[in-house]
Amino acid sequence: MILLGELSLWVALLMAIWSATVSFAGGGMRRVDLVASGERAMYASCAFVALSSIGLWTALITSDFSLRFVASYTSANLPTVYKFSAFWGGQAGSMLFWCLILSLYSALTLAANRKRNRELMPYVTGTLATILIFFLGTTAFSANPYARLDWIPPDGTGLNPQLQNPGMAFHPPNLYLGYVATSIPFAFAIAALVTRRLDAEWLAAVRRWSLVSWLFLTIGITMGMWWAYVELGWGGYWAWDPVENASLLPWLTGTAFLHSIMIQEKRGMLRKWNVTLVVATFLLSILGTFITRSGVIESVHSFAQSPVGSYFASFLIVAIIVTAFLVATRLRDLEARAELESMVSREAAFLYNNVVLVGIAFSVLWGTLFPIISEAVRGSKITVGPPFFNTVNIPLGLLLLALTGIGPLIAWRRASVANLKRQFAAPVAGGVFLGAALFALGMRDGYALVSYTLAGFVFTTISQEFVKGVNARRRMHDEAVPVAFVRLIARNRRRYGGYIVHFGVVVLFAAFAGLAFKKEYDLSLTPGASFSAVDPYNRTWTFTSQGVSRYEELNRQVTAVVLEAKRAGMSPTLIKSEKRQHVDSRGQPTFEPSTEVGILESLRQDVYLVLHGVSGDDRETAEIRITFNPLVWWVWYGGIIMALGGLIVMWPQATRGGSKRRAEGGYVVVMQPSERRKADAAEPPVEAGV
Amino acid sequence: MATRRQFVITLGGAVVAMGARAARGQQGAEAPGATMEGDGYIPVRRLPRPAAAKRITALERDAVERMLSCPCPCTLDVFTCRTSMPCGFSPRLHADVVQLANGGYSGDEILAAFEQAYGEKILMAPHKQGFNWVGWIAPFAAVGGGALAVGALIRQWGRRAAERRMAASPVPIDASDDEMARLEAAIRNDDS
Repeated sequence: MILLGELSLWVALLMAIWSATVSFAGGGMRRVDLVASGERAMYASCAFVALSSIGLWTALITSDFSLRFVASYTSANLPTVYKFSAFWGGQAGSMLFWCLILSLYSALTLAANRKRNRELMPYVTGTLATILIFFLGTTAFSANPYARLDWIPPDGTGLNPQLQNPGMAFHPPNLYLGYVATSIPFAFAIAALVTRRLDAEWLAAVRRWSLVSWLFLTIGITMGMWWAYVELGWGGYWAWDPVENASLLPWLTGTAFLHSIMIQEKRGMLRKWNVTLVVATFLLSILGTFITRSGVIESVHSFAQSPVGSYFASFLIVAIIVTAFLVATRLRDLEARAELESMVSREAAFLYNNVVLVGIAFSVLWGTLFPIISEAVRGSKITVGPPFFNTVNIPLGLLLLALTGIGPLIAWRRASVANLKRQFAAPVAGGVFLGAALFALGMRDGYALVSYTLAGFVFTTISQEFVKGVNARRRMHDEAVPVAFVRLIARNRRRYGGYIVHFGVVVLFAAFAGLAFKKEYDLSLTPGASFSAVDPYNRTWTFTSQGVSRYEELNRQVTAVVLEAKRAGMSPTLIKSEKRQHVDSRGQPTFEPSTEVGILESLRQDVYLVLHGVSGDDRETAEIRITFNPLVWWVWYGGIIMALGGLIVMWPQATRGGSKRRAEGGYVVVMQPSERRKADAAEPPVEAGV
Repeated sequence: MATRRQFVITLGGAVVAMGARAARGQQGAEAPGATMEGDGYIPVRRLPRPAAAKRITALERDAVERMLSCPCPCTLDVFTCRTSMPCGFSPRLHADVVQLANGGYSGDEILAAFEQAYGEKILMAPHKQGFNWVGWIAPFAAVGGGALAVGALIRQWGRRAAERRMAASPVPIDASDDEMARLEAAIRNDDS
């Protein structure tokens, strides 16, 4: 199976080379037979990459330590689930995993477009095959998971303890699914540029895949945050580490694209900008991969250094040159078909939203690369860490939050003063009321106050939109509120799914602001000793040590401390934190000791227990840290709500008459004045949507 | 021209530096994590101030440690590293911070002492001075510049749209036939 897997890798590479060659040739020469051959070769390449992946999984599960990759990332006593997920735990395996996802996505794209976009497809296939050649080539020549060892060790090194977490099974695959999905819009953009068919057709094909990418990146980033929070050593759920930043970059530009694409669909504008965003999102995915894998920038999450960095740098440069050339030579084809008429319009709000999103992406990239730039200019090294990123990005983030609320309140084309007054009254009142209430209750942190005020504003905006929509349905169809609510979303998924995403953003910001109130206590506790601590809600907790215990588990030796946590109005609960020393199948230590935190979770706050170590002559005194983290769970809920909204937006919608393109978009609703208001309705019907 | 040249040179320098770092990274691939427990540690010691009394609280001391970068490859600050990983460096840096704090040194003085020993790299964020200003200001300048550009663009588009509307619907002129004849004659004369 291993030999078959290795051979399949090389055959897949040959198939991808054939696919790229004949697809581009077929497109240029308008030869249908060549185009068909290119597509079949892509399907074959996908099958061989799958076979190669099965080969590696077999080697991992059966602990075939003759492979360097298997010996480096697993051990005989590693639980099976982690043997399975070790596939993407190291450089070589994760490269093959990338190839697997890319080939599957490519095959899916080809299958979905058998009868559509036929002018574009030869170049789409050719571009995807070229990207696949790069990844397969880099895997085969530079990071081959089938590389053999000269001798077969009795056991492997094992998987890094920090990777032995359920997050390992879900976070990297989701992130990769998101990263790789940016290749499909990129391929369509290249095809549209080459063929000069830069109309709405390619956008329709691109939008769904952009959403797929956005959705998986959202899920992947949220899971990564959760994993970094529950697993000690990564600096909390967001530490502005270069690798974390790298995942945020394509998400930001992808989000900007999902907003600006609406303007192109509706008004035929921003064509150059949208192509730029599609290309930038893909290139930032590659840049992120380069950062993770090259060793150019130090990161706590990066893979071991390997020569793949120069391959990625070369690919990045070639991709930039090719796309820049194509865009530069097609500028006239990308001219807008309409122009913005007013600064106070939804289009303008979306443009400003794009400026802020891309501005945040720039600031994250700039901060990540600035140490290198500074070293090149000044010759001295500097560190750019959380203090920089927080100073720069918190104001920009709050500006983005404000725009999240402002955009949906402004009419398309041009908003009248009366329209603005009517739309903004309730949201502004909602935000100011919340801010004032929190100030009266004693909240004094400036950023937190602004954050909650804006959160109140955006939440009221979203609520107002739902209330209006539900009331309209009730008047028109005489439906009950729950039915009207569900049908409102179901009949206009893009618009109301978008609002649900915005609601997720509000929840996220509220959770981030909660971090300003966290409290920490360092203490030493002997068995039976107690400690009292006050949480951010001014409630007193008592923690009593139940003692230190030592025991062995499957592949580790554990030292654990258990605390009993008590608070008035709550039954006593036990929290446990562990120090783990992982060992191989012969009982030999494999990695530095790691720490498993104990978390007492609730919607209001987490009580976060960390065992630093044990001290004293009898080694029974636990050195611990207790942290009260307010509203942390709302970070995960925010991510879940955003993903749910994204799913609703993505869900296919049946078309019913009217312009097909706009109906497919489903974001335009013509709201007729109600019977009661018809008499005094001086304004024409209001077109609204996101 | 000189400015553009400087920009290109700077950009080129940055690209070359990135390439050099990538190459160094690849050379170093033979011994991953070699500096982790190496001798990069530099003791930061000062004599206690006469009649020294602690000038900072434990919380302020933690805040100082959050401003110091751990020299291990973790990319975390000293406080986070020592309370989570910890590596071979952060506990020793913590001990130095405690010793300085107990010796009567303020937070700023402790940071200055570390910077003197390790260079600016030990700080989690660069000073707001000299070339570093480029780093601090560029994101705001980019967003501000982008917003201004978008504003100017929308204004320009709005003007063009208004002109097109005007051209599409001529404004009725409130003039008598006699006045119109005189106006046309005047235009003809002007043309000739």
